[in-house]
Amino acid sequence: MTIRILLVDDHPIVRQGLKTLLEGHSDWEVIGEASDGAEAVEKAKDLSPDVMVLDVTMPRMNGLDACRVLRRQYPTLEILFVTQHDSPQMMREALEAGARGYVVKSNAARDLLAAVEAVSQHRVFTALHSRTVG
Amino acid sequence: MKLRILLADDHEIVRRGLRALLEKHESWEVCGEASDGREAVEKALQLNPDVIIVDVGMPNLNGLDTTRQLLQHDPHFKVIVLTITDSDQVIREALDAGARGFVLKSDAARDLVSAVEALQNKRMFFTPRVNDLVLAGFLEKGQTVSRNEAPKLPTLTAREREITQLLAEGNSSKEVASLLNLSTKTVETHRSNIMRKLSFHSIRDLVVYAIKNNLIQIELPPSSPKTPAGPTAA
Repeated sequence: MTIRILLVDDHPIVRQGLKTLLEGHSDWEVIGEASDGAEAVEKAKDLSPDVMVLDVTMPRMNGLDACRVLRRQYPTLEILFVTQHDSPQMMREALEAGARGYVVKSNAARDLLAAVEAVSQHRVFTALHSRTVG
Repeated sequence: MKLRILLADDHEIVRRGLRALLEKHESWEVCGEASDGREAVEKALQLNPDVIIVDVGMPNLNGLDTTRQLLQHDPHFKVIVLTITDSDQVIREALDAGARGFVLKSDAARDLVSAVEALQNKRMFFTPRVNDLVLAGFLEKGQTVSRNEAPKLPTLTAREREITQLLAEGNSSKEVASLLNLSTKTVETHRSNIMRKLSFHSIRDLVVYAIKNNLIQIELPPSSPKTPAGPTAA
């Protein structure tokens, strides 16, 4: 079964980079993109993704707030944060907001595929710069 | 012959995105990648690219100092800086460093191709904000010094700037020495000189200085309190 993925980041270049990484996997499909948390919530309604790859710092609605809204409205949607914030505190907040995964952008090329694999199977995957759990 | 482009950004995800964008252009090729400023300088000297795209906020050696070093090695290098901020200071420093292009990362998907085309045609490319500054005479006249303006901080040498960045990034003097192929004693001497020149008493002062002077760029975490249920209006 194809895993349907929505990419959310305010930088189109980052979304493009994530897309090139994910599109190599035959069972995954990037079904759409959003550039802020509010757009992510709208697109989740239209597109019904299985996994959402979400940035933290975004305009209009940040990723943490979007995550809380999305997890409440779509309990089966799994959220993976890909963020600049290499911070245990931010990671804790993200998991408390309902995310299943947390990966730092500087290591996204290394960790993203394993993270998407894990969260799509409802497993937790977290990887700060120095510590990976998953 | 294809236009050869070197990419320098510490995030592989960003480099992948830039590569995907640029390689849509049939006559361009990405000839190499670097994940920090030092590697960018080494690779530029090895590969002799036509255009070098440099992120400002890189560790070890930031993009502005990378640009300076590149152009010291070879004034014919053509550099586009990519930055998350277009503050007056970053703009001024990018132009002073010799960059021929200035693109905001958030607008890279829209502007970077135009920037590379401009440099390919021996023109420069800047965001409208930079052009506004030029028109306002900011660059032509230089800074205006008023009686009430605070005195400028002493200027650090290029080596001192490098060491300031590395210390502000959390490296010890020993680690800095290893990165720069210097003795620890030499780094300690530079460190003392830096602290004395800037009248600083702690590493914290140095970190604040490094952030204010774009030696390191940081993205702040969201500061707003938790929003109530439902999307926030724009």
